[in-house]
Amino acid sequence: FSGAGGGNDIQWCFSQVKGAVDDDVAEADIISTVEFNHSGELLATGDKGGRVVIFQQEQENKTQSHSRGEYNVYSTFQSHEPEFDYLKSLEIEEKINKIRWLPQKNAAQFLLSTNDKTIKLWKISERDKRPEGYNLKEEDGRYRDPTTVTTLRVPVFRPMDLMVEASPRRIFANAHTYHINSISINSDYETYLSADDLRINLWHLEITDRSFNIVDIKPANMEELTEVITAAEFHPNSCNTFVYSSSKGTIRLCDMRASALCDRHSKLFEEPEDPSNRSFFSEIISSISDVKFSHSGRYMMTRDYLSVKIWDLNMENRPVETYQVHEYLRSKLCSLYENDCIFDKFECCWNGSDRQVKFFTRTSDLPNIVMTGSYNNFFRMFDRNTKRDITLEASRENNKPRTVLKPRKVCASGKRKKDEISVDSLDFNKKILHTAWHPKENIIAVATTNNLYIFQDKMN
Amino acid sequence: MLGKGGKRKFDEHEDGLEGKVVSPTDGPSKVSYTLQRQTIFNISLMKLYNHRPLTEPSLQKTVLINNMLRRIQEELKQEGSLRPVFVTASQPADPLSDNFREAQPAFSHLASQPLLPTDFVSTTPLESCLTPASLLEDDTFCTSPTVQHDGPTKPPPPALQPVKDSFSSALDEIEELCPAPTSAEAVAAETAADDSKDHPSESNVQKPEGFPESRTAESKLMDSLPGNFEITTSTGFLTDLTLDDILFADIDTSMYDFDPCTSATGAASKMAPVSADELLKTLAPYSSQPVTPNQPFKMDLTELDHIMEVLVGS
Repeated sequence: FSGAGGGNDIQWCFSQVKGAVDDDVAEADIISTVEFNHSGELLATGDKGGRVVIFQQEQENKTQSHSRGEYNVYSTFQSHEPEFDYLKSLEIEEKINKIRWLPQKNAAQFLLSTNDKTIKLWKISERDKRPEGYNLKEEDGRYRDPTTVTTLRVPVFRPMDLMVEASPRRIFANAHTYHINSISINSDYETYLSADDLRINLWHLEITDRSFNIVDIKPANMEELTEVITAAEFHPNSCNTFVYSSSKGTIRLCDMRASALCDRHSKLFEEPEDPSNRSFFSEIISSISDVKFSHSGRYMMTRDYLSVKIWDLNMENRPVETYQVHEYLRSKLCSLYENDCIFDKFECCWNGSDRQVKFFTRTSDLPNIVMTGSYNNFFRMFDRNTKRDITLEASRENNKPRTVLKPRKVCASGKRKKDEISVDSLDFNKKILHTAWHPKENIIAVATTNNLYIFQDKMN
Repeated sequence: MLGKGGKRKFDEHEDGLEGKVVSPTDGPSKVSYTLQRQTIFNISLMKLYNHRPLTEPSLQKTVLINNMLRRIQEELKQEGSLRPVFVTASQPADPLSDNFREAQPAFSHLASQPLLPTDFVSTTPLESCLTPASLLEDDTFCTSPTVQHDGPTKPPPPALQPVKDSFSSALDEIEELCPAPTSAEAVAAETAADDSKDHPSESNVQKPEGFPESRTAESKLMDSLPGNFEITTSTGFLTDLTLDDILFADIDTSMYDFDPCTSATGAASKMAPVSADELLKTLAPYSSQPVTPNQPFKMDLTELDHIMEVLVGS
């Protein structure tokens, strides 16, 4: 991290970059979501064109102990197609808003992917054998004339080139009037929730023709609408608990045991506004764009426009920690409002959970890092233990594997030091909205507009 | 985007405003605060009406922009009530429920078009909004009972000459600080296109052709589903306004609606004078003697005429 490297500080190195090289970004290639599966072996991305691309990590080469396996394309499929809502005369975008993996139960992998209106359960399975030696069919599939069959044989499985097939197993449609922003799989692995701007629905993975509405904040008179749901997530351990965040900077924790319709929250997390920072844009920048539980479920993290906040579930009146992502933008909010950047929805993530526990004796030694994106293809990491933070850049200029990334610095005002970048030089079209951390290793996936960068720590 | 030239000038003012707490009562920065507020208001209006016609606009964005507009409007209303120039004695205090109702027609006013035939405001005399000049010439304005409210707060009227000079300089300052947004305020459709040229960094495409397209799409929606508010809200829950914005976009009445005859409806007379008030407040720092409601009223109309011409750039 910035400053002297301690024993626990991670040194990030470039590993790979996926995607087109040219600066002309095709709109369909814009990455809209990134997610590791539960083992970290698979890394899925969704894009604006409705496609899902899954990368698979190579098995670690025992001889090459200084680098982990590379990620290569495993499967690509079209998850969602553009649709037309005839009633409203409007297009329904095929953009994949979220992907969530199910834990693996058999040889196949399952994931949920969603656009604005429809959620789909995809099965990704491998085929590396095929039956050969049919009696009634030729090898190419043509049927044989039964009169030419003189002997019988038993078909056997023979190896073939690996084929990865994706097939939609469930389609959960017609349950959302507004745009779906979140899906979250429950810890019971049987149900999941989907949240749109005004409602949250509970589904069973096996049942597609109905869902339960568990939150509804739609007012009777739409003109009175002042607040929308921005994100929702199930608690990682309690299958009856979930949270949802709002455009006013509040998080509500709900218990499904309390009532069928969880309109009354069990807990309301909200930080009082800092009067010295008040501006026209206070409400907009307080809108929460992402909420993520920690692996233990004790904490949750929220991302608003300028900061990342860590909340203790036992304390509702303020967060326990606040980290400024790009405070230098506070004086630029009017311009950012004008060009719509102020509405960008940045995500955030925790580091992986199963760390090398055997090396540590105290829980406080366990790495505890949160990561989020910013502009100019910068992304930020905050170490909760050391309180140090670092800014790194995802760019092809740093593409030498095993070279440690150089920390970046933005100069807010005054004299710009060497290697610093002034706020006015930042490219606001290069935004990192989606980042993901491998569940077990120090490998991170960072999505720029149309490229996916993979970084890993320097192993020695 | 946040580069040199005009933007930097704007940023300088921004830095002065947003970096610290600026209360509307601070002396010289009061003008900048008011202007920035007006700029943000204009930007917000443009955002609401210039979304891509093909897909549904983000409800979250619409709600946040709408909240911004409402907040500014509330502020203006409160400031307007400090100088109740055109508020009649019959005006009731706003019950909480009225705020939301007034929010809608208020938007329509400042978006330069008259009150709508919405559910809750049905008795608006549209004629009065459309032909302000004849009403403004009516002497009854100056002698209306509302003037009495201003008694304790209004000093004697200033001479015409010095106010006019300071007014011009105020006008220059206004133009200098935000020429583009204020031009958009006047005529939504035509100048929206101009503004998009001034601000190429805006992510929304704002072509002159694009605007009529989105209008017709929305008016189609209005026609096809008159009763179903749920559907129309998906295109922004100010679709009612958009329709009338189409119809009355050319007529900018925001500066002229001082009509106490519409006081029965409440909202019209409350909101319209505020924009004039705003101008009057901006004049205050520049004139040696504060302006009164009566005297400058008539004078201001011609001045406002002049300003609107300049701002619209016609």
